Order: sequence, then structure tokens, then C-alpha cells
Amino acid sequence: MLPAFLPTGLLKYGFLKKYPAFRYIPKATELKQHYDVVIIGGGGHALATAYYLARNHGITNVCILERGYLAGGNTARNTAIIRSNYLTPEGVKFYEESLRLYRDLSQDLDFNILYSERGHFTLAHTDAAMRTSRWRAEVNKHLGVNSELIYPDEIARLCPSLNMSDDVRYPILGALYHPPGSIARHDAVAWGYAARAAQMGVEIHQQTPVTGLIIQNGKVKGVETPRGAIGAGQVLQAVAGMTSVVAKMAGFKLPIRTIPLQACVSVPLKPFLDQIIVSGSLHVYVSQSSRGELVMGGSTDPYGLYSTRSTLDFKEGLLGHMLELLPMLGEVKILRQWAGMADMTPDFSPIMGLTPVENYYIDSGWGTWGFKATPVCGKTMAYTIANNAPHELIKPFSYERFLTYSQVGEKGAASVGH
Amino acid sequence: MKIMNCPLNGPRNISEFVWGGEVKPMPDETKLSDREWAEYVFLENNTAGVVREWWCHVPTSYWFIAERNTITDEIVKTYPASEVFKSRVDFAGAKP
Amino acid sequence: MTAEMNWGGTNRLPNRGALIDRSRPVTFSFEGSLVEGFEGDTIASALCANGQWMISRSFKYHRPRGVLTMIGQDANTLVQIGDEPNCLADKRRIAPGLVVEGQNYFGSFDSDAGRFVEWVSKFLPVGFYYKTFHEKRSSWRFWEPIVRAMAGLGKIDPHAHHGYFDKQYLFADVAVIGGGPAGLAAAAEAAKAGGEVLLIDENPKLGGCLNYARFDESGEAACKADGELLNAVKAAGNIRVMSDAVVTGLFADNWIPVVRGNRFYKLRAKAIVVATGSIEQPAVFRNNDLPGIMLGSAAQRLIHLYGVRPGKRAVILTANDDGYAQAIDLLKIGSAVATVVDLRADPPQTALSKAVARAGITVHAGSAIAEAYHHGNKEHVVGVAVAPVAGEGQLSDPTASYECDLVLMSVGYSPAAHLLLQAGAKFAYSTASHMFEPREIPAGLYAAGSVAGQFNLDQVAAGGRRAGWAAARHAGGTVGAEPAEVSDPGAAQQTHPWPIFPHAKGGEFVDFDEDLKYDDLINGIADGFDNVELLKRYSTVGMGPSQGKHSAVAAVRIVARETGRDLAALTVTTQRPPYTPEKFGHLAGRIFDPERRTAMHHRHLELGAQMMPAGIWWRPAYYGPKAEREKAIREEVNAVRNDVALIDVSTLGGLDVRGPDAAEFLNRMYTFTYAKLAVGKSRYVLMTDQAGVITDDGVACRFSEEHFYVTATTSGVDAVYRSMLQWNAQWRLDVDVANVTAAYAGVNIAGPKSRQVLQRLCQDIDLSAEAFPYLGVREGTVAGIPARLLRVGFVGELGYEIHVPYGYGEALWDAVVEAGQPEGIRPFGVEAQRVLRLEKGHIIVSQDTDGLTNAWEADMPWALAKTKPFFVGGRSTQIMAKMPLLRKLVGFTLDDPALPCPEECHLVIKGGEIVGRVTSAVNSPSLGKVVGMAYVHPADAAPDSKIQIKIDGGRMIEGRVVKLPFYDPEGKRQEM
Repeated sequence: MLPAFLPTGLLKYGFLKKYPAFRYIPKATELKQHYDVVIIGGGGHALATAYYLARNHGITNVCILERGYLAGGNTARNTAIIRSNYLTPEGVKFYEESLRLYRDLSQDLDFNILYSERGHFTLAHTDAAMRTSRWRAEVNKHLGVNSELIYPDEIARLCPSLNMSDDVRYPILGALYHPPGSIARHDAVAWGYAARAAQMGVEIHQQTPVTGLIIQNGKVKGVETPRGAIGAGQVLQAVAGMTSVVAKMAGFKLPIRTIPLQACVSVPLKPFLDQIIVSGSLHVYVSQSSRGELVMGGSTDPYGLYSTRSTLDFKEGLLGHMLELLPMLGEVKILRQWAGMADMTPDFSPIMGLTPVENYYIDSGWGTWGFKATPVCGKTMAYTIANNAPHELIKPFSYERFLTYSQVGEKGAASVGH
Repeated sequence: MKIMNCPLNGPRNISEFVWGGEVKPMPDETKLSDREWAEYVFLENNTAGVVREWWCHVPTSYWFIAERNTITDEIVKTYPASEVFKSRVDFAGAKP
Repeated sequence: MTAEMNWGGTNRLPNRGALIDRSRPVTFSFEGSLVEGFEGDTIASALCANGQWMISRSFKYHRPRGVLTMIGQDANTLVQIGDEPNCLADKRRIAPGLVVEGQNYFGSFDSDAGRFVEWVSKFLPVGFYYKTFHEKRSSWRFWEPIVRAMAGLGKIDPHAHHGYFDKQYLFADVAVIGGGPAGLAAAAEAAKAGGEVLLIDENPKLGGCLNYARFDESGEAACKADGELLNAVKAAGNIRVMSDAVVTGLFADNWIPVVRGNRFYKLRAKAIVVATGSIEQPAVFRNNDLPGIMLGSAAQRLIHLYGVRPGKRAVILTANDDGYAQAIDLLKIGSAVATVVDLRADPPQTALSKAVARAGITVHAGSAIAEAYHHGNKEHVVGVAVAPVAGEGQLSDPTASYECDLVLMSVGYSPAAHLLLQAGAKFAYSTASHMFEPREIPAGLYAAGSVAGQFNLDQVAAGGRRAGWAAARHAGGTVGAEPAEVSDPGAAQQTHPWPIFPHAKGGEFVDFDEDLKYDDLINGIADGFDNVELLKRYSTVGMGPSQGKHSAVAAVRIVARETGRDLAALTVTTQRPPYTPEKFGHLAGRIFDPERRTAMHHRHLELGAQMMPAGIWWRPAYYGPKAEREKAIREEVNAVRNDVALIDVSTLGGLDVRGPDAAEFLNRMYTFTYAKLAVGKSRYVLMTDQAGVITDDGVACRFSEEHFYVTATTSGVDAVYRSMLQWNAQWRLDVDVANVTAAYAGVNIAGPKSRQVLQRLCQDIDLSAEAFPYLGVREGTVAGIPARLLRVGFVGELGYEIHVPYGYGEALWDAVVEAGQPEGIRPFGVEAQRVLRLEKGHIIVSQDTDGLTNAWEADMPWALAKTKPFFVGGRSTQIMAKMPLLRKLVGFTLDDPALPCPEECHLVIKGGEIVGRVTSAVNSPSLGKVVGMAYVHPADAAPDSKIQIKIDGGRMIEGRVVKLPFYDPEGKRQEM
């Protein structure tokens, strides 16, 4: 069709005799004695922060310390939904910037993150959900974000797969429709950031846990690892699922409860569902990946746990509701289920920026909404570290907000159930 | 499905219970600054390890205390809340 | 497919086929052609019997694929059956009229246009989609639909319906998973302790490998063991056998899902024996995916279970004794064995290998298959080249080639440890056996048979007995002496460490599901994904429908070697449930979604009510057809304002708080004070949480010094009740709280004529305004029913809430309706009530408040006690009083009658910024104008301030702040 679309980048693989390998993730090296910035955690947020530190601020003497394998935590476990249809102006502005960065990320990183605009539907089955949907739509529209409250006729037209019948426990009354809602390949986002950060000099050390922090006079000086202590000018912790544990090493507590969030995928199917469907009342969401798998999840587990074990009850509850929405899937099979650990905050907004420890920064409280914020977190945390002052977009998300009763209430838009 | 041993009802499926979070005894609010009070209200230990926490058996509305390992999900033991909260709490000025 | 054939297929063997019933022929269709088989056949066995070797097209390259494992451990036999996609043809049994279709092809199954992908496969390296298609933002938009259309396997039928599935609970002292020799021995041993034993097997016939594998030349060993073990199981009276039942997971505290037919069982066992066996692993060589190349065990299954000849002339690639057993199997059915290729340089002389030698079969020791050949169409193997092994994964030039139509791979096993791993068992790679072996198994779980590294038949049975004994003991049974520990040194002879032979021309499949070849893994590692988990994600190895069952071990070996890591230090990638795919329908079951109906539910339906969900309850929204909604609501409102009407308030939360400390308790739980509330009076209650956020409201009615009846919101009462109990578990006040919500039904009779209606029904209470004033509460009888009467004013008219025991609800309703006939009493619903309360300026918690609203923002300082020492949320409320107020809830009206009524959640804008929202708004029938409540900037909270509301279409309209309430500000009507 259009020559510009031809995947010419693949030609070399066909014509070269030897596979032209490109090491996206660099080989491990020796740890240096000192880095300007040490980032604890090697997930999407950490990698994005390293990338923007190098690209936007010229800070390249940066080291990422990952206790397991690269991006193997929640970056690997989320269901890859991207949207900006939040409830608070603070949230909407923040996630809208993330979405803007996401749109061009494949080109920025020269790594295809398979960003796919699908349209995001938050179904409302109750009066209360209709109210919240309209509230979100109004806030979104006021801030220039494409969202609309739509009614059953329109839902049926846009998303013909959905069961719009009245003959179910919770009929669909309407939906918050957010056309820019997208999905992407979650791993690719992390790998792309890792590859380009590494090219600019950032070191990535996998299998390197941080076992302690070196803090003197309220100021962080470095970190301890089984491979030895490392000096650091500044330290960022970006360790979703272990946030409280690492913060405890820095000597402070957080308003966070760590709770598993489970998800599952179906066997691969030919494409039939283009949209991202979310139902808060039914506690389910579903989209179909580019591999053809239905990617599904619900709300967080009923109790706190530092484990990624799976439960059967999760699947039973999820699929019961799923078949109310999409009754044609009865014979489809679940291929795999898994869990991540969500750091839930009281107001369903993140905790970002400065901490009680000088030169120690935090990127946390990512609950169930971390993946969609990856680029903007990287950008704003890099700014915050480079300037030792919070970026404008993250000021509302400070740790201090709880101690001053200034929460940013996103519960209505951030949790699947509310 | 995990089984939890309710001190009142014996072992039951954990789906019959509701988690109440860590046992965080309330400090004397008259002795705390506003900030300290906010810390009590909002901050959590969120311990990775054995934690003493509230659980409620929903069908019988019975609150009790469990010690649970939040890394392994092992329920170490459960016992009535009265073993921790042994006597009546009064607030200054309140009539008994 | 050939047109003429014998019934059951030309490849059908006489006198074999333990699972088929030759007296019951079955006809089904595959890709539109009729296929004949027997009852008990799987789709795959029937197709093979009829010479249809190609069963599917591969995921990426659309290569023809046939039987690989014959037990569902691969995606080679996935087919579509009606609305069921991705169905395993080697597991699914045929049925008359079954319509089976191939999947993932374009055009026709036989000449799939998708084959072109393989022609350009050189241009599609591992992870190619990350490397391109993103030149411009629009590039991926162009390519994505193409890639998506190529991906996926089966199809969804958009018109399919959720069929019937159900669930059942099961309990057992000991559950044994796997009905092979280890499982049989375990079950029989466990049964000796007398408990209930449940033996679950995924096959139609117990015995596992005893039904198809060969342990000696004569085949007697298997028969004998089978007979003995089965007899022991049958003899025990306390073993329940579930065949054709698949255990798909092993969850915490021995919670086990079992799928059988359309039923989903949930089993709780005190102890579990996992005897799931092991999964034979393919060898990796060029064109190892051609139809006709299969695992040795797959061929044995075809022969012995289904009576199907897998081929006429075979080459067997082996590295253990099983390959020799398979040679004998083939000879016994009259097939030729061209050669046995043994990876081992110096294969041990065993009874079986000697028998093969006696049959005159050439054995190529220290050799491997260098490549398999086809006739250009990849539809079937036609021959192989054999080459000496020169080193690990290295071959010299081929020294021989053989024509054949069958290649068996018998180079080793990997334990089917998925259930154990899910339950937290630790397995590690053994450099002695070249398999993963159990190192640590959680309490209550026991492993036996080849999953535990036991292969020799005697050892397997002994291992089963020991596991059964231990499980019975764990389950509390009385057991005899402990059987000796079992170790099988023979396990070291089962599995070859490196059956992987890359070829210069490629085409050596490691993962058949995902069409991944050796080079794809090597290149992925070279791209920096040099860790098993990363490589899995980058290359998708092990991510396909069989979840790595035949590919994970090879992948781990390749990563270890390429990165110079010690295999012993590596683990298999994390095993996630389910073990085999579970249908959505199984998990969903019949879909139970509980709902609550009030005692008057049927009366509402008879009266034509439109019902709406309120939490878990159903409530009448309004009475009348949907088309006349507005009219109905208006008339209901007018009835309350002018005459009398009744509403079902049964769903309202009710809590009985009793005891000497009842008042003190309410003082602590709610913001107001209750100590001095007179008996026979009620007072508003407002609840805040520790952060000072409003969480609920209602009224507290004092029926005696030590008894309050407290109402709560319909959706909030359970949380309120739970919170009360949790607090009192700490305070230990002398008070008892009971949630009596469902114990009481209630109606509210409201309107100026409500007293005269009630007077007809209630003689034992003086209803006069003096004797029973506004906010009074009484106990008495209404229509002879014991009742609690509350004079509350939610709707702002004279009214009585009557709460009676649930069982009297309908009788009460009927009595009131009848008594009110002279006044024309009519029912009103939730919608009218919302209008009425809004006219009266009452908030609805969670509609007019949100997750962060405090009492200052809600403008309710009047509800905060100032003199009591403590209430939950009090300190936080005090702290927030010192902080600048950011918004305030006010009443507003629209002065311009031409303006439309704003919708709930339309925004309040000030200086371009969002400062609040409309929480409730209505075109008031009673007042003839738009009234509502909204959060506004505190600077605009004074009456007559102007506010800007952004309504639909972005239009800004002006509202005016009005003091609440809108209706009857003096409260005369409710107090009359």
C-alpha cells in the first residue's frame, strides 16, 4: 500500500548471513563505587526515569538495581490498559500527559510498543455508576480529554459484542466512553526504555537486591547490596509491591497497603473484540491483545499479601460476570492466571516526589494504575530528581498530602470496583 | 481457598471473612499533635512478615485477631480480640 | 482424505484399542468430510486411523501439524468444534454428528494461504514486531490489523450462548491425582487407613501408562501390575474413582478444581497424593514438526488405546529403554522399524535392546536425526538423515538416511509437576537424571511415580504406597508401619541431557505451539534477553496453549548453555494455573448473583413498579410504564405533598443497640450526642471515619434508656454494623449491637392525610401532634401487627415510618393501602422520594457526598457535638476545621425559567477552574422551579451568590445559591 509503511527494518534479518543481534538489555558489568543517581527497582517506572534523566537532563551516571529480572514485577503482570479518563483534575492532567507520551513512544524509543488505540468503555449498571461516569466525562471534557457519557443504543452500536439485554442481574444503563483508551505491549515499554537508557550510559544490574540504605544526618548517601555498597548522590525507590519494605529501610512509613491484584488470559482467538470493556459494578475488565488472547481482570484481592499466588475464587467471580457481559464466551478457555502486588493508597492516587529523607525520592502508591503512568512518571520523576523539586504535575501527589488532609480522591475512577 | 480458624466458629473458608487491616491501637488523641494524629490515621506498617490483624467472620459478625504471615499467607494463629483489648476504654470526660 | 476405507479407518489394527468399542461405530465430520470411528476414539485417533495426519495449521507459519503427544500437551491438534475454539483433538472423544473444523487457515485447510508467512520467515526474526512497524505513528495502525488477523487460533461465534454448567463440592480425606500405577498404589494404601479416598484420573480408563507402555518384551509386566493394582483399588470399599476428570489447579489449603464434563467440582482434601506422571519431551532437529513425527508414547497410545497404526515404517530416535520397547510395539503390529537411532554413545544392553537386536534392527548408537524429509508440502515425514553425535548438540555429516512414514522421539521426560509447583513445591534440575526433581514439598502433599523421579515399575508402585501411607497419616488415619523410602537409580537412564541438534538450514522446532525454532531462542538471547523469564516474554516460548509443557525444558537448557549458567541453579519458569485450559463456562457455573427482595416485592410488581437495584436489594423506582416516567414521579410527589402516599422502606438499614452503654456507644460512633436524648425521641445520626470523611447517616430512636434503634443507609448498613462491632471489640462497652435490617419490613406513610389513615389502623398509640410529635418514636400495633413507629421527616411532610417484623411486611402494606382508600393513597418510589428530600434539602450520603467529603464541606457543623470527649473522626474533623475550606455544599436554584435543569455531576466552574459539581438537581414539582445542591467555592457559598454551571454541550448557565431547605423552611408541614 503505502511505501512508508513497509517494514524495511526487517530486510537485514533476511539478507544478512549472521543474525544482526542488537543487545537491547546490556550485559551485566561490575558495579561502580558511586553513581549520581541510584534507582532501586528495575521496572517500567524506574527504566523510564533513567531514560528521561539521561535524555532530558543529561544525567547518565545512573544505575538501576533490580532484585529479580528486568521489569519482572508489576510491569510484567499488568493488563496494559492506557487511559486518561480520571476523576480529579490533578489525575486527568497527569494521565493525559502520560497518554500523550505513549502515543509517540514507539517512535521516541525506536522500539515498537504495539500501542493500539481501542476505545475504552466503563460500563455503568447503577445510578451511582451513571453519576460517576458523568462526573468523569464532565471533568475530562473540561480539561480537553475525549470522554463522553453514552447510552445503551450507542454502546450497542460501538460495541456489538456486549450483552445489552435487560434480562441480567445488572443491566447496562450507560457507559463512560473514552475513545483514546489504548493498550500496549507492557514488556516492550520497559525494554524500549531500558535499551535507550542503556545506550545513553545508564547501567542496569539485574539480580541485585538493595539490602540497606546508607543515610547520614537525614541525607541518603548510598545503598547496600550483596555485591557491595554503592555511593549515590540521589536515590529513587520505584519498587511497586515492595514499597513499604524499602521505605522502612529509609526510615519512614507510608499510607499504603499491599494487596494482590489478579488477572488471567484466554487461549488465543481470532480478533473479535476491539474495545476495552470495564465494568466497575461487576468488577471485571477485558480487552483482546494483539496475540488474540482475552486479557481479563477485576478488583484487588480481599486482603493484603506480599505474594503473587493465584486463587480459584478470583476466576470464578470474574468469569461469572464476564459471561453476563459476553455470553458467547462460555466455551472459551482460560489459559493462564497470575497476580501482581498492588500498593493501594487511601485516595487511589500515587505518592510521588520528595520524602522525609534528603535526596531520597519515591515513586509509589501505584495500586492498579501504574502501567498507564509509566512515561509520565519517568518524565516527572526525572525532573524531580534533576531539580530536587517536584514537577508541577506531581505536586498534588506528595507524601505530605495525607498529613495535611489534602487527598486526591480517585477512587471513583481508579479502582475497577468503587 | 484458604481456611481460617475462627475462634468462635472453627475452621471456615476464608471467603466467609473480611479483613480489617493491621491491629493499630488508637493512641490518646489528646497527647498527639495534629500531624501525629494524621500519621496514626493514614500511615500503615504494611509489614512483610507476621502481622497481627483484624478479621471478621461475616455470617456471625465476629471480630477477632489473627497473626498471619503476609509473605507466605500462612495463618499462624487466631484468637479473640479480648486477649489484646482486655479492659474497657474510656475517654476523658465521658460518663461511664 | 481417501474415499474408500474400512469402517474405523484403513490404519485400524485388529485386536487392539483399550478405549474403543468396535461394536459402536461413530460418524463425525472433519473439515466437511465424513469420518468414521468408534466410540472411545478421540478426534485425532479417528483421523489418524483414516489417514488424515494433518490436524491443524501451526500458529505462525501455518505448517501442517499432526499428533505429537496424543495426550493434549501441545497445540498441534487444536480444532474448532462449533462455538468451542481451541479444542484438543487428541483428548476430545468423537460423538455422532460432531462437526470438527480446522483452525487458523486462510482459504482452505489443505492449501492454506497463510503458508506464505514461512516463505518470508527469514525476514521475521524473533520479536520482529518490536523491531519495525513503528516508522511513523500511523505505521502500526496500518500493520496492527494485519498482525492481529494472523494471530489467534480459534474463532468466536458471536451468537453462541452460555450453555449449562454447574458446580459441586467434594470432600475427601485423601485425594489421589493420577490413576497410573503410582496413583493406584497410593489410593489402595491410603484406603487401608479407612478414610475416604478419592482417585481422580483424566483418562477414561484407570491404569495410566500400564494401558499403553511396555516394560518388557512380552508386555506381561504391565498387565500384571495393572491387574494387581486395579484389583486392590476395586477391593477397597472406600475409594471413589473419578475418571475423565481433570484437576486443573492446586490452591491454598488443598483446594482443588476438578473439571468433568460440564461440571466444575471444588474438592477439599486433608491430604493429597500427586501422581501426575511425567511429560515426554520431543527432540529438537530440523523438520521435527512434520506430521508422522511424534513422541514414542504418542505412538504407543495410538496403538494400544485406539488400535491405530501410527505408521508402516518407523525410525526411532531414543536415549532410553523406552525407544526399544516402542520398536517391539511396532514389530508386534507388523510395522517395520527401519532403524533405532540412539543418542547414547554406548547404550546399555537391556532385555529390550537385546530383543530389538534379535529382530535384526540396526541401531545407530551415538547418533541423532540430523533432519527429517518431506515431499515439499510438509504434509508428512518421508525419511530422515542420521548423523553421529560429535558433541553436545553437534553432529557430524550424516552417515545414513532412511525412508519412513513414522519417526518416534523417545529421548526423555519432564515431571508433570505443575500442580505441585502451584502449591509451592520446589523443584531443581538434577544433573544426574537431567530432569527437574522435587526438593521440597509442602505439608499435606505427597508425590509419587515419575513426577517424583520414580520410573521402574516396582519402584513406582512402592513410591505410590509410601505416598498413600503418608497422606493417610497426615489426614489423621490409623496407618501401619511406614513403608521404606523409595529411590529409583534407573531414573538417571531416562532422559538425555541434550537432545537438541540445530541444523544449518534451521527449522528445528523448540516450541511447536508458538512456531519457535532453535535460532529464535539463540537470537533472543543475543538481543539481551538472556534470562529464562525475559526470553520467554521476548520470544513467547512457553506462552502458547500448552504453556511450555513440551518446550520449557529445552528453553531452560538452551539459556543455561548460551549464558554459561549452571542448569542446577535454574528453575522452570513459574507455573501458573490452570494445568489445562478451563472453560469460562466451568468457572462461571450457573452464575449466582444474590439479590434481596423486600416483603412487599410482589405488591410493587403488581402495581406496575419499575424496579431498580439499591445495593443488593431491588426497590421500586416509580410506579407506571417507562414511557411515563416523568409523569409518574410528578404524580407521586404531588400525592405526598397534597394527600397521602406510602413507600416501602424495608431496605433501610436497622441496628438495635442495647445495653447500659448504648448511649455512650452512639456518642462515640456518631457525631451528635445521644446521652440526653429522651426516651420516645429520635435524633439524626451522622457517621464519619477516622479521617473525618462522612460515611453514613440515619436516625437514632430511643425506645428505652438502654435501647436505641438506629437506621443506616441501605448500602451502608453492613459496613456501619461491622465498624461498630470492631470498635467495641476495642472499647469493650457494655452494649450489644444487632443488625436487624432484614428482620424488619417498613413502610413510610407520608403526606398531610397520613395521620387520618394511620388512625384507622392504630388504636394503642395516641397519634395526635401533642402526644406523638415530630421526631417522636413509639412502639405499638398497626393493623394488629407489633410495630415501631417513627415520626421522621425525610420527605418533609407529616409522616410515619412503620417498622414491623419482616413476615408481616406484606400484610402491613395491604392494610395501609386499604385503610388509605378514602384518601386515595398511592405508592411512591425511590425517584419521587429523591425529589421530595431534595426539596427539603436533605443530603443522600454518597450522592451529595463523595469519598472525601467532611462535615465542613457538607455544611453540617450543626451535626457535630462540641462537648463530648470523643467520636470516631472527631479529631480529624477538628484538624480540618483549621484548614482552608476548598468547597462547600449549598442549595441552588435557577432564576431563569428558560434554563434546563442541570444533570447530577455537571460541573461548577469559577474562573475557568473546576470548583465543584451539582450533586442533585430536579425540576421541582412542588416549587415549580429547578432546585439542586452543588459543591461551590466557599466564597460563593452565601445565599444569593451566583454560580456558573457547565451543562451539556459545554454551555454555561447561572445558578443562584439558596438557603436550604427549599420547601417549607419553617418545617411546619412535617411537624403538623
